[in-house]
Amino acid sequence: MLASDLRFTLLCTIGIALFPFLLHPLGGYSTLATQIAIVSIASIGFNLLLGYAGTLSYGHAMFYGGGGYIAAIIMVRTMPQHSNTWLALIGATLVTTVLAILIGALTVRLYGIYFALLTLAFAQMVYFIVEQAKDWTNGDDGMQSLPNALLPLGPWNIDLTTPLPSLALGPFGNLSELRIWYVVAGISLLLVLLFARTLTRSQFGEVLGAIRENEQRSTLIGFNAAGYRLAAFAISGALTGFAGALRALFDGSVPIDAVGIERSGSFVIYTVVGGVSTLFGPVAGTAVIMFLENVLSAKTPAWRLIEGLIFVGVIVFLPRGLSTVLKQQRDKNPRAIFVRSLRPSTEEPDPLLKPAAEGHRSGPMSIIETFKLGKLFGHFAAVRDVDFRVDPGELRAVIGPNGAGKTTFFNLLSGTIAPTTGTMNYKGRDVSRLSGTKRVHLGIAKAFQTASLYSDQTVRQNCRLAALARVQGSFRLQVFRRSTRLDEVDALAERAMSRLDLSGVADVRAGALSHGDKKRLDIAIALATQPQILLLDEPVAGMSKDEARKTEALIRKLSTEMTVLVIEHDMEMVMGISDSITVLHQGTVLATGTPADIQANPRVQEAYLGGHSEAELAH
Amino acid sequence: MEALFQAMLGGLVHGLIYIAIAVGLTIIFGTLRLVNFAHGAFYAIGAYVGLVIAQRIGLGWAFIAAPIAVALFAVLLDRFVLRSFYDKEATSQLLVTFGIALVVEESLRLIFGATTQQYKMPLALQGSFTLGPIEYPAYRLLFAGGVIVMLALVWLFIEKTNYGLIVRAGVRDRVMVQLLGGNIRQASTIVFALGAAIAGLVGAAATPIYSIDPATGFAFLVPSFVVVVVGGLGSFWGAILGGLLIGELQSLTNLAYAPASDVVIYLCMALVLLFRPQGLLGESEVIRQS
Repeated sequence: MLASDLRFTLLCTIGIALFPFLLHPLGGYSTLATQIAIVSIASIGFNLLLGYAGTLSYGHAMFYGGGGYIAAIIMVRTMPQHSNTWLALIGATLVTTVLAILIGALTVRLYGIYFALLTLAFAQMVYFIVEQAKDWTNGDDGMQSLPNALLPLGPWNIDLTTPLPSLALGPFGNLSELRIWYVVAGISLLLVLLFARTLTRSQFGEVLGAIRENEQRSTLIGFNAAGYRLAAFAISGALTGFAGALRALFDGSVPIDAVGIERSGSFVIYTVVGGVSTLFGPVAGTAVIMFLENVLSAKTPAWRLIEGLIFVGVIVFLPRGLSTVLKQQRDKNPRAIFVRSLRPSTEEPDPLLKPAAEGHRSGPMSIIETFKLGKLFGHFAAVRDVDFRVDPGELRAVIGPNGAGKTTFFNLLSGTIAPTTGTMNYKGRDVSRLSGTKRVHLGIAKAFQTASLYSDQTVRQNCRLAALARVQGSFRLQVFRRSTRLDEVDALAERAMSRLDLSGVADVRAGALSHGDKKRLDIAIALATQPQILLLDEPVAGMSKDEARKTEALIRKLSTEMTVLVIEHDMEMVMGISDSITVLHQGTVLATGTPADIQANPRVQEAYLGGHSEAELAH
Repeated sequence: MEALFQAMLGGLVHGLIYIAIAVGLTIIFGTLRLVNFAHGAFYAIGAYVGLVIAQRIGLGWAFIAAPIAVALFAVLLDRFVLRSFYDKEATSQLLVTFGIALVVEESLRLIFGATTQQYKMPLALQGSFTLGPIEYPAYRLLFAGGVIVMLALVWLFIEKTNYGLIVRAGVRDRVMVQLLGGNIRQASTIVFALGAAIAGLVGAAATPIYSIDPATGFAFLVPSFVVVVVGGLGSFWGAILGGLLIGELQSLTNLAYAPASDVVIYLCMALVLLFRPQGLLGESEVIRQS
């Protein structure tokens, strides 16, 4: 563990130290080496977003150029005290971090092309501001001739342009070609690499990966997906801004192009060519493409075409570099790939303290109670005026013909969708406006009709993620420690697996499980969040008779410890295990009662048999 | 007053180009679920092919050659590059089509040079309409009329043909359409080629109006995406409304305060995305739940 960290650090140090001398025989030069080291930092930042959070920003120039301009402005405006490089670097990084948080707060709820376009739009606004604020930024001409970068360090005031001592290295040039700048850039790159490595292996990185792989599941085990994505965006923006500031100070100038659209595109190219979702990919891609740009451009006018062909070639023929970006599946709703703002977005400041709606104070015993709950899709009322009440410990089945609104009703209870009308109380408190994530933490968990899993992870990891959300809360910026040392998480996960009879397949990849095991894993995931009420949407659908009976017995056992709501078409099971049954028909409650009541209810029979009374059928 | 009218007519012509590109984007998204960042490249190729043919042979032939050339290019792309990306998520589609756009742009730069070029219109087309105090170049009005006729044909295609049925159904429910049968593949190729040809034709037809350079494709693509987003992805009338809105907004801002004419459309898009992410005429919510 520690040894591998040490080895990593050593290898990076050696690589960074040798890089300029390897570049030399290829026709590169020391300025280019420094620029590559600096821009690599921005690419690493960009890759945190594309490679690990799974979203493509087409506006990262606003952070890169923004950082550059802020640093340059600080340098110019603080001239009397003589340039303070620390102030410029820290100031620029802080400002870009704030910018990233503000813009991230507006953009992280969008996906795909919408996210790319919105980040592009904000970058163009930043460009406009930079272009217009001529007094500060010198407009289209960019800022030139910045004061020399002096780095105060203890008693010294280091002039970063000082060359290193002379030392002839044959074909690899001379050490004195490098300035102290390269040491600064190299150390910065090393630190950023170490940070990125730690972050991607940390608990934060693990959750970010889970959200990317299956956001629907992640929010319904209690992770605040938007929060995680926002944090990733902010860190990404901060690193990119820091790199932009370094570059401005190194070059002694900032061109307007630093905030331009092509700059944004360049980070996409560097990162993809080098390998998305890998630690060194962005560095390698930056080195290769910047080398081509600076060295090849002198030799052939086709260099940009070559660059484009490399880019397309990597995407089409080397999907391995892209594998993690390509393999993820969003949910089945195709439009939701792009806009995922359909879930309720109203976030109350402190939901737990909100009293139940006036006049809706429920009886002391109910765990869930709804009042006139309804959901309109366009003009279609999927659920209408549903008054529904479940007591703690009850096992309630919700049945109804296809299209009766059962799944929509469950989605309203779990908070996946917001109600159009009515309210819902959970243990006497109004939770109607709470997101699904918040409801999970209150104790409402759901298993999906089609098992919603992390297919690339093992059964144990699936359950651990849910337990992690329970133990660590919906959001935690734990970018340094891994989650592996949390005994409580392991215990919760193990218990959930054993309760669903999955311990035997604990180390099997979820995607490789049989249908029945997948369905049970989905329940185990819900269980690992330690719910007080469990919503099961057709838990035995598609199972063989044996499997269905086995699962039925497991559910019956679970119901001795918690409230269970189950949607099911398997009538044998429904009649066998339920304490009571609610029948939905055309979005409304048709009847509620004991299994015997329901079986005897003529209206229920009519609904199921499509309007034919028993008498008619008897003829 | 005259300046205002000129600006509005200019905005209309610009808006119509955006609409033509946006409609192509929309029908391709509907059938293939592909977010095509290379669509501006179709416009650019059409413009260059049109320019060459118009200079060597005649403007009329350019209108025929450009869409055919672009459609052929699109079919090749569909067959050899894009096919494996249709089922992938939007981000990888964006990346690969962005890459194709880069390659096309750089190829055009190598072949035709980086300098701006413009087709010199024959004298016969250089006349202008005079309407009271306002004078307007005849070709632009012809162009606007032509694009409107073409859009009407596209609308008929979407509403009245079997291929159009697939487009409309695909916007709503891609999976269902896939279940319908084997010739969806062929239909999507045809729709892809058609969407590309529209962009190519408009590119060729616009050469007498706008000068072109290798970056032209990208310059028209981004506002067209803005149009699609503002109008609502997958909505034909949304593209029309969005195109007119964005074209006019850009043109009028240019008149009022020229430096802001680009940023204003991004501002408009950001507002739409933040407050009505499905776009002005996009469907508000999808009925199907998981």
